[in-house]
Amino acid sequence: MKMFSVAHKTAFVVDHCPYMAESSRQQVECDVLTKSRAQGVIPLAPVSKSLWTCAVECSMEYCRILYDVYPLNKLINYIVSDSEFHILNTWRQEDQSTHELMSALAAVGPPNPREDPECCSVLHGLVAAVESLCKLTELQHEQRTVLMDTAERVANRGRIICLTNAKSDTHVRMLEDCIQETLMDQNKLAAGSDRLMAIQQCELVLVHIFPMGEDALVSDRPKKEISPLLTSEVHSVRAGRHLATKLNILVQQHFDLASTTITNIPMKPTLNVCEQEEQHANTSANYDVELLHHRDAHLEFFKSGDLHMAGSTSRDSGLKETVTLKWCTPRTNSVELHYCTGAYRISPTDVNSRPSSCLTNFLLNGTQAPGRSVLLEQPRKSGSKVISHMLSSHGGEIFLHVLNSTRSTLEDPPSISEGCGGRVTDYRITDFGEFMRENRLTPVAETAPNPGGRFPADRAKAQLERYTRYWPMIISQTTIFNMQAVVPLANLIVKEALSEEDVLTCQKTVYNLVDMERKNDPLPISTVGSRGKGPKRDEQYRIMWNELETLVKTHAAGSERHQRVLDCIVACRSKPPEEEERKKRGRKREDREERPDKNGTKEPEDRAWQDSERLKGALEKEEQESEVIKDSPDSPEPLNKKPRLAIEEVQPSEKAKGPVSLLALWTNRITVANSRKHQEFAGRTSSVNNKAELYQHLKDDNGMDVHENGKASR
Amino acid sequence: MPTVVVMDVSLSMTRPVSLESSEEFQRKNLAVHGLTMLFEHMAANYRLEFTSLVAFSSLWELLVPFTRDYNTLQEALSNLEDYDKTCIESALNGVSNVVQQEWGSSCPCQVVLVTDGSLGIGKGSLRHSLQTLKQRADDKKFPLPFPFPTKMFIMCVANSEELQTTDAMDNLEELLRLSGGDGQIFTMEGQLCLKSVQAMFGRLIDQAYSPFHAVLHCGNLSSDVQVFPRPEPVVVDDEVDPMPRVVNTEAEDVSTGAAEEPEEEVSASQMAGKSPNFCVLLHGSLKVEGMVALVQLGPDWYGMLYSQADSKKKSNLMMSLFEPGPEPLPWLGKVAHLGPISEAAENPYGEDDSKSPFPVQPSIKRSYAQNVTVWIKASGLQTDVQKILRNARKLPEKTQTFYKELNRLRKAALAFGFRELLKGVGDLLERECTLLPDSAHPDAAFQLSHAAKQLRLASAGDSQYAAFDQNIAPMHTDFSS
Repeated sequence: MKMFSVAHKTAFVVDHCPYMAESSRQQVECDVLTKSRAQGVIPLAPVSKSLWTCAVECSMEYCRILYDVYPLNKLINYIVSDSEFHILNTWRQEDQSTHELMSALAAVGPPNPREDPECCSVLHGLVAAVESLCKLTELQHEQRTVLMDTAERVANRGRIICLTNAKSDTHVRMLEDCIQETLMDQNKLAAGSDRLMAIQQCELVLVHIFPMGEDALVSDRPKKEISPLLTSEVHSVRAGRHLATKLNILVQQHFDLASTTITNIPMKPTLNVCEQEEQHANTSANYDVELLHHRDAHLEFFKSGDLHMAGSTSRDSGLKETVTLKWCTPRTNSVELHYCTGAYRISPTDVNSRPSSCLTNFLLNGTQAPGRSVLLEQPRKSGSKVISHMLSSHGGEIFLHVLNSTRSTLEDPPSISEGCGGRVTDYRITDFGEFMRENRLTPVAETAPNPGGRFPADRAKAQLERYTRYWPMIISQTTIFNMQAVVPLANLIVKEALSEEDVLTCQKTVYNLVDMERKNDPLPISTVGSRGKGPKRDEQYRIMWNELETLVKTHAAGSERHQRVLDCIVACRSKPPEEEERKKRGRKREDREERPDKNGTKEPEDRAWQDSERLKGALEKEEQESEVIKDSPDSPEPLNKKPRLAIEEVQPSEKAKGPVSLLALWTNRITVANSRKHQEFAGRTSSVNNKAELYQHLKDDNGMDVHENGKASR
Repeated sequence: MPTVVVMDVSLSMTRPVSLESSEEFQRKNLAVHGLTMLFEHMAANYRLEFTSLVAFSSLWELLVPFTRDYNTLQEALSNLEDYDKTCIESALNGVSNVVQQEWGSSCPCQVVLVTDGSLGIGKGSLRHSLQTLKQRADDKKFPLPFPFPTKMFIMCVANSEELQTTDAMDNLEELLRLSGGDGQIFTMEGQLCLKSVQAMFGRLIDQAYSPFHAVLHCGNLSSDVQVFPRPEPVVVDDEVDPMPRVVNTEAEDVSTGAAEEPEEEVSASQMAGKSPNFCVLLHGSLKVEGMVALVQLGPDWYGMLYSQADSKKKSNLMMSLFEPGPEPLPWLGKVAHLGPISEAAENPYGEDDSKSPFPVQPSIKRSYAQNVTVWIKASGLQTDVQKILRNARKLPEKTQTFYKELNRLRKAALAFGFRELLKGVGDLLERECTLLPDSAHPDAAFQLSHAAKQLRLASAGDSQYAAFDQNIAPMHTDFSS
């Protein structure tokens, strides 16, 4: 259905003239006497509804079904007509509820039989309906604003359902002519207005209601075109049950609905909660409940043409078709994901009948949050059981789900372990689970303040970006994320804004690490797979500090406080406690000192970690090329050794001296700041330790081993 | 999307292709060559798709049922025999049967019809079929359009000049139009030879069988993925939004909610699996945590990722596409309005995961969840009246329920303009009052006559007593002393 088909706007025009106060002559016995009390009591005379009451309650039923199945964007404008018109609501979404309409109808009250019939007519209402159809709905307004230049794609179509008691076919024709005229007039008016839209298509459905036992003065007429703008159809129906059936059929036609009857609903004690009062009805009968829903839920039946095989039956003298599906007693494990191809809202035809309310309450209540679900099967003559649908509630709404009942093209998928990365076994599955938990989503009220004018989902994505700036996927790729001591810092640094307290916590974490280093505590560096005992203790700490710095550096640009955490790390790690150790290790430290500086010369911060990632990637590639399988306990653990080796080989000599002075630190920062002001030489950006290799392609051609330089030049 | 290859094995397919070179080819050989190329391509890039092979002349035969085993298809292709004349209608009937039996009528399917453009003669020829289109009995309807969504590709082992000499092209175009218009007719360019048949099938492959590669992002983590079956463009509303929506190849993972609706499958392929891959990590964690991840496929188009396991040990990452739109699952609310939990004052999932912000409740309850009053059937009205009477007899214990039911009836009667009912129920209550046994609590009589009086006042239509939002309050009595 198009967004702006005739179904978008429906104007109900209900006749409120004196003759509608007439009785429908259908009597309802509401005083049902039980046998024990029958003696000596005179039963109350049966009551009968007026034509007005019949019209109103059937139109309300039409609205109820519509709102159940389409809570949005299928709008009703309810108009009552006597000596003038009364518009009971607007096209606005908040006015679309049966409660609102009932309240307005109560204010109007029944027609006044003593009013002068001469000045009363349904025409007032019909004219008002055409005028109303010219008015923009919220959706039309919104779409016109969105489409801007192509706003003419927003169409204006509508339907008028008129419930009246017409005098004759001539009278009907007069009404039609009058609507046609009003249409032309209103369209002229709309052409010159911004707030009105011309009507492109209008469908008039005129329902003539007459009391039981009278002859119809108006004849039925199928849809016919009165003008290119207007089509009209006439239904002549007796008040009461017939009118209800008629409107039920109309709502199905107008909104593409179809009917499903759930059969064999068992009467179980668990189902009997809804009506303790009516215990007399506690028989073991199986109930049937009829539901209406979008007809796409039956698509499979329509297409394969086995509507009848699926148990379709015609009722009410062939006017109505329903597909019968059998209730399957629910199983307890409802957390299964079914192969579902569609979900459609439902509305019970007979909403407050006992079987209906038992079914809906069963589905709604269940075990609260996910609601209960019931599988439905097609009754087939042969013994095979085909489950084709499922009823389930989500948040107080019941949906008919369509399940795939034939072979699926998705069957027998290959295992993910057969694909890329499938043979790696030390993924940080638990950590990523924790990560997902922290990044879960929650509905945010639209009225909530919207920092930066972004949607909540954009903020969620921004958070994902921050949380993943440095996130090694496998355990053997990381040290810091295997250390409990780092957790407070790692959790805080990803935040968009840090408080003073957060900075303090981070600093404490760093001091704590310094302390660990001084005490020479062991680090959880994976020694599995490394030759011998793995890297020495001080080497382990160097790796750990490097990694920590990489993590924090990706966030340092976020705020001054983030920067302070980085500063703290840089400052702390550059002051190893033991002087001689420092001297001995001078060269090593130089290289980690040098790395931030090198990274700093390269554009913004996030590039830096990517580069280091790339370096890592290149190193890993080396590993793979040398046929190292990580998971084998006998193979060396290359990650911890190789970076050092690779970097050490090309140590810049002029910097290989003693500890770094304050001056050196300061100069570095200034250099970094200056370097941002000009574009870096291509050679330097792709260099390793400030050395760019020339004629790399020659090297490649010679089949020599490839490291970062070679890769970058490709 | 499954494929049915429909191969013409009529005698005309054995016509030799005049070639200068030494070897003599039949059109059939060229067709087989092209199909071999297609099968090889699919085996390499589309090995999760199902394909079947149907051969037809005046009759049709299912040579290979739907399979992922391209060797079997290849083998069947090399064992084709030659039969009589071309009858496309019967072949299409066959396709319709084969597909519906296997996949039902909602699974979209591609049909590759390989023929030589000589479409039969006399009865059963395509020309005859199309001419008699409108004069069919219900049980002998032309099989097109198929009940399932179809993409029809017609591969003509003939060049367009040749086809233009007869009405073959017109008939084929009509066939394509009847199938729903989605698809294409391919003809050979230039001379009929191996090269040009390769070129023709190459165009088909580019058009319909190019693998769908995408990148899955989760912040800075990402992974290249291939999606089976290929997500097809969707037209949401051809009036307001006539451009088809296409899945962005940069899919963005927006983390988790909870939902359901399988449809598509992601599967990484090629290259040995030694370097870590984000998909595997994501899959593992989704499986362990029992979560699903929301994924954005384009503007206002979403889907979800989750671990899907078949009955065996194997599991893989699946992607289900939702209907395009800002609010595909009403119980999640608008997807753009899902924000990170870190923004919430307190964790909406609870510290111990004991609660959930989902499902989102609709602002207005549905009729079946709000105890509406419908009196269309007499029984509905009778039940409501009897409910009031039952409670009336148990006054004063049931005072609350009595008034609740009474007010419900009163509201509905006022809205429906059913004043006669208000008066009638008033009378009934009055009668109940007279029938009260001597043992009854005195309050019962007071409440009954109070309620009856109020109903009568309302039935008179006096605005003071007939206001919709007003309720009849229990009469204040004090029998405690």
